[in-house]
Amino acid sequence: MLLSVEGLNVFYGEAIHALRDVSFGVEEGEIVSIIGANGAGKSTLMWTLVGLLKPKSGRILMRGKPIRPIPHLSVAAGIALVPERRRLFPHLTVRENLILGAYLRKDRKGVEEDAELVYRLFPILKERLSQYAGTLSGGQQQMLAIGRALMSRPKVLLLDEPSLGLAPVLVDQVFKAIQDIASSGTTILLVEQNALEALQIAHRAYVLEVGRIVLEGKGKELLDNPIVRAAYLGVAQHTEILLERTDNKV
Amino acid sequence: MFIQTIITGLSIGSVYALMAVGYSLVFSVLNFSNFAHGAIITLGAYIAWALMVHYLQVPFLLALLLSMGGAGALAFLNERIAYSTLRRRRAPSLYLMISAMGVAISLQNILYATIGAKLYALPPVFAMDVVHMGELTISKMDIFAFVFSAFTIAILHLILVRTKVGVAIRAAAHDMEMVSVLGVNLDVLVGVLFFIAGSLGGMAGVFMGVKYMVYPSMGWITNKAYIGAVIGGLGSLPGAIVGGLLLGLLEALVSVSSIGDTSLSTYRDVFSFGILVILLIFKPTGFFGRHVEDKL
Repeated sequence: MLLSVEGLNVFYGEAIHALRDVSFGVEEGEIVSIIGANGAGKSTLMWTLVGLLKPKSGRILMRGKPIRPIPHLSVAAGIALVPERRRLFPHLTVRENLILGAYLRKDRKGVEEDAELVYRLFPILKERLSQYAGTLSGGQQQMLAIGRALMSRPKVLLLDEPSLGLAPVLVDQVFKAIQDIASSGTTILLVEQNALEALQIAHRAYVLEVGRIVLEGKGKELLDNPIVRAAYLGVAQHTEILLERTDNKV
Repeated sequence: MFIQTIITGLSIGSVYALMAVGYSLVFSVLNFSNFAHGAIITLGAYIAWALMVHYLQVPFLLALLLSMGGAGALAFLNERIAYSTLRRRRAPSLYLMISAMGVAISLQNILYATIGAKLYALPPVFAMDVVHMGELTISKMDIFAFVFSAFTIAILHLILVRTKVGVAIRAAAHDMEMVSVLGVNLDVLVGVLFFIAGSLGGMAGVFMGVKYMVYPSMGWITNKAYIGAVIGGLGSLPGAIVGGLLLGLLEALVSVSSIGDTSLSTYRDVFSFGILVILLIFKPTGFFGRHVEDKL
């Protein structure tokens, strides 16, 4: 197992139990999606995986080695995060944003190679290198956020709601890019409200509900799961439910 | 006469700018006014005094560099001891500012208690030397302070634009949390930040010591530099430079002005603090200040 999470419990203050005994794993080369509604704890999970939130109990392991929950140690261990709403540095140039992604790396040559990979994935970024990140369009900003995370040459790339606020055509483009990144060997852990797209590209997936993992399976299996279809894909069997209700009344 | 006043103003203004940059650097990243900066500047001047007068006769340039390093190290320690815990607990910036005031007053009183309230002069170096240019008489020290301050600020600019640490400092000014998620060790980054601010302060302290005197409360002159930083827009480096120079120039001009027979020189400080109050009414974020935006 490349990344494994064991019995993670995360609290906000004393009262709010945001993640409850969350355990899961991501194999090398996999795309794993975690779907869930707003407030299910998806972003909390991401922030915990990069060490910004300290779990009350539980462990995060890379190839069996526990990672201390400190951000720069998580990056050093091979985790990179594309956060929700991107969190770029708008007053820095595209190039500077990318440079910061490679902050811990000393191999100048490797960094240049990875920059080329990012440009090949998102050619528009190469044209905009000396432009301020804040002047990019929403889609371009999402590409830059992904590119910035790739610059650390992560073993596993965490993506938090990459489709948020993007037009449908851009959403497709972003998901296509995620698949390209996966096929070039980077493991992907994707957290999404857009369950349809997330399940379609996932090898395996988990469903997170109020801080708990309630379902897991192959991406395709979950697409056909009636509970998932009703709760996350908006294709509830309205007719059946309606019929049941009428039956009860009669 | 007028040109001479301008040159004097630019010289003192450049020293204000050096100090103001220290305030702004720290403010841009940590969002609080580090009022201990004045005490660090004072200690920088005392280091130079100890090296050049009291214990040894170290040459001026070497003493200047050692004072910069020493003041930088003290600023680093100041952060580690007084602020780092508050910072990690995400305390409101008001508490950091109050802690900074505590540090400033403690350090000043440590100086009173150990070295005493006496005023010490640094060797005049070339304070007495003057250059004659036509009708102008300019102190070499004024020229040196201006050139050296400008040079140092230029180097700082290069660090912030060209080096990875510098880019990370600028990024941290916008979103510290995200910078840490990219692998930057914030303790190290903030340490570097305070070392830089402290060494610029140390340099300013030496210049002030040569121009005036070295005494425990000399750090309060940084109130002026702080005004400069606010006029320019706290957190903005160009703002700190422009604000510092502007304040120096205006002070020099006010000092030589008079209304009728009354010289305005005694009103100099009334004037500098007065424009702060008035400017804040019309332009609360200063000339180059960032408008505070929600970070989404």
